[in-house]
Amino acid sequence: MNRQDVAADRVLSLTLKLGAYTALVLTVAGLALRFAVPWAMKVTTAGLLVLLVTPVLRIIVACLQFLRERDFKYALVSFGVLAIVVLAYVLGIQA
Amino acid sequence: MTLAAMLLLILIGFLAGGFGALAGVGGGIIITPLLAIYFGLPMHQAIGVTLLCVIATSTATSSMYVERHVTDVRLGMTLELATTVGALIAALVAHQVNRRTLALLFACFLLYSAGSMLRKAWDSRNKKREEMIPDYTPQNYPAGLGASLIAGGFSGLLGIGGGPIKVPVMLLFMKVPLRVAAATSNFMIGVTAGTSAYIYWGRGDIRVDIAAPLVAGVFAGSLLGARISPKIRAFYILMLLVCIAGWLAAQMIYKLLTGGFQ
Repeated sequence: MNRQDVAADRVLSLTLKLGAYTALVLTVAGLALRFAVPWAMKVTTAGLLVLLVTPVLRIIVACLQFLRERDFKYALVSFGVLAIVVLAYVLGIQA
Repeated sequence: MTLAAMLLLILIGFLAGGFGALAGVGGGIIITPLLAIYFGLPMHQAIGVTLLCVIATSTATSSMYVERHVTDVRLGMTLELATTVGALIAALVAHQVNRRTLALLFACFLLYSAGSMLRKAWDSRNKKREEMIPDYTPQNYPAGLGASLIAGGFSGLLGIGGGPIKVPVMLLFMKVPLRVAAATSNFMIGVTAGTSAYIYWGRGDIRVDIAAPLVAGVFAGSLLGARISPKIRAFYILMLLVCIAGWLAAQMIYKLLTGGFQ
């Protein structure tokens, strides 16, 4: 494994961790507050939305990493995956 | 929801996420039947909630596998082209499938998963932990993409990760080492489940009040589990999961035979 791939793995892992911990903190905060304040459910929902957005963020980050490495084949593959997920999002809104 | 129910859901999430990460299998497969049998959730809602739990497990554990360079990001991204298409189509179709059919399909998949966990447990009896990853080049992409399409389909339909379908194909047909195959499958699950989760969310099949405590528990459990998993042997945890999966499958079949899941 070359040095660029090692660095790319670190950024990708960091993205996933950031998403995981943000979602965890928001969900727990929302749950803890729900017997105290009326807007607690919004915090909880925000946590779940962060959870839903993290996989998309991880595709974008991977795509950018591939572009930086000039690995256009896999940048295109990432873009394809992103396109399908965005399509699902659009269809989901209309559902 | 009462405080007791909320704490119970957090605990279920914690155990499913923790055991799942320790044994290297998704814990989601246990959550759906628990919600459908004991919490009386309609199958579509149980599946929608489980999708979120599956994303949580995948995100938490793959952050660590990627960091340890076990995940093949390029292979995962390529196969995701197929899993997401399968997941999207299946999530759109799932709404037309009636609850009893979904429950039957789920029970069958539960038994299949129990079988594959049993074999995994058998294999893990006397294997050395954390061996080096040999050099490899993935072979036979058509087989991998085909299996990924099917796995994605099952994910969108049943809210599962589909690891038991992808991992053997990556191992046997694509000649990818087992640890890489497992980590890569796990990596793909977040994006795959995310794709169908958008459809379920849009339809209103994801109940925030039930999903939130489960997701919080799953996150905590799988972050902890993935951290200590290299240090333990998975045999007993896998056997425990086999028993739970078998029990839940039996419960689901019993409920189906007595006219449940309407």
